This record gives sequence, C-alpha cells and structure tokens, in this order.
Amino acid sequence: MVVYSFYIFDRHAECIYKRRWLPRPTSISGKASRPTSEIPSSSNGVPPVFGQSDRTTDDDAKLIFGTVFSLRNMVRKLGGEDDSFVSYNTSQYKLHYYETPTNIKFVMLTDVKSPSMRVALQQIYINLFVEYGVLDSYPR
Amino acid sequence: MSTTKASRIGEELWKTRVDKINAELVTLTYGTIVAQLCQDYDSDYNEVNKQLDKMGYNIGMRLIEDFLAKSNVGRCANFRETADMIAKVGFKIFLNISPTVTNWTSDNNQFSLIFEENPLADFVELPDDGRAQDELWFSNIFCGVLRGALEMVQMQIEAHFVSDVLRGDDTTEMRVSLVRYIEDEMPPEEE
Repeated sequence: MVVYSFYIFDRHAECIYKRRWLPRPTSISGKASRPTSEIPSSSNGVPPVFGQSDRTTDDDAKLIFGTVFSLRNMVRKLGGEDDSFVSYNTSQYKLHYYETPTNIKFVMLTDVKSPSMRVALQQIYINLFVEYGVLDSYPR
Repeated sequence: MSTTKASRIGEELWKTRVDKINAELVTLTYGTIVAQLCQDYDSDYNEVNKQLDKMGYNIGMRLIEDFLAKSNVGRCANFRETADMIAKVGFKIFLNISPTVTNWTSDNNQFSLIFEENPLADFVELPDDGRAQDELWFSNIFCGVLRGALEMVQMQIEAHFVSDVLRGDDTTEMRVSLVRYIEDEMPPEEE
C-alpha cells in the first residue's frame, strides 16, 4: 500500500495540515499513479502535459476540499442525512475521506489497491488529532 | 436513539474509557477559580457570571472533540436526542452525573436540565454580602461549556441557570434553548 498524500481541513474549510510523499509530478493523475522511477528525471522542469505546472499545493488542497465537500453534500442529498461519503476510486488513485461531527475533514490519497482507510483516519482523529492537537495547545 | 440507550453508552464509557481524578480536587479547584474571579472583579457578580460562561465556552469548544473521540457517536437526529446525549453521556463521562432532562416546550426547542447532584457545588456557600444570593450563578461555567460544545457541532444555543440550590432554591435548573442550526462554512471565494 502506498500513501500519496494526506490533508486535514478544519471547520472553517481551511487546510490545516497537508503532506505529500511523492515528488511533485505534473498533474493530479500523474501524482497519484506513477512512481518517480517511471517519470524520467528530466521531467522536472519540463513543461507538464496538461499545462498545470504552476498549480501549487495550495491549489491542490482547495481542489480536494471542493471535491470532498461537493461529494459529501451530494451523498447526503441522495442517501439521506445519515449517509456518509467514504472513498472514491479512479484508475490511478483512491481517495479516502473521514469527517467528524465537528466538521473536521481527513483526506488521504492512496494507491488503488489499498483497503479502506476509514478506521485509520478515525484513529488519527482520536489518538493523534484530539490527543495532541485539541487537548494540548490548540492554537486559538 | 432512546434515552436508555444513551444511559447505557454513558455508563459503559464511564467504566472503560475515562481517566478519573479525585472529585474533591475538582470541587476545590473550581471553587478557587470562582472565588478568585469574585475577587478580581470586585464582587461584580454579573461580570463573574460572564467570565465563567466565557471560560466554559473555550472549554466546550475542545471538550466536544474529546467527547466525540471517546464516545464515537454520530450526529444526533434531533434536539431531543441531543439533550439526552448531553445529560446521559456528556455529563456522565466528564463528571459522573446525569442531570434530568425535562420541561420541553412543545416545539422541542427548549428544555431544562435539573441537577440533582452537582460536584462543582459541594461544600459551597455563596458570599454572605446580600447580593451573591441574587446575582451569582456559581456553576455558570456549565452554560458556557454547552454553548461552546454545541456550536462545534453546528448548533447555536442559549443556556442559563434559572435556579440554584446554593441560592436557597429547591432545585438547580438550567434552561437550554436551540437558537438555530449553523450552516457549514464554505471556503472563502477566490479573488
């Protein structure tokens, strides 16, 4: 199993944590799919396929937020208030989602073959976020 | 979720998931805080009430995360369920008490919590200056805690005490009203 990236959004829709474990490829699909070895090292600095090289990690976070926010609302509209959006697959990557009742959102991108990360995300919330973030010195 | 189910969850969590400390330590610490506030604000009890509420609010904002992490419960379907959750699970796991939920208004937006026991108020006598009995709500921190905690789960509420045995009333009663459900925040518009 490979984890490509991980994001936490707070209740104000702000990305309060992001981490990526692969060097920046040229597009979302590239990021998710290809280990660096498949991309010739010369590709660094080479114009990207979709002309999106100037998209920053900030933009990534915004895109991801927009995606999960819309999906989550759509899921609730179709499946009722209690339904929740858990993950989606593309041919290149899998996005895992966990949201607390306080609207803190955890998003993890992994390879397509990985099992459900819901429990892992929940444990990150319970054992790390709450324990060392909220109950320690939450900065506000 | 029924009231009995909430009680069961509360009991279970209290037994298994909660770190306990000496109750008298809590009582004495809280009493000291209130006494200090009375001193700091020159016995302006309205101001003391306000400060306690504010302290509670800041506690509640974080406590809700601890509550959710421990209890692992989902969103309540309605305000009645919320009330049971507060009384049977929330107060249970943090203070080992379960105030009674009662006096609902017909629109299900307002209820009372009756505190048969209140660990904050053990051994307490209000200042004997003729005003504290009428002005100070000793356990006002609870109001702030509920307000802060519920705001984090998209409920704006108003809470205040209407009676307190410390003042010589028969019961200790807090009134809680739902003001509105808060909409999810959207990211700021792109410029």
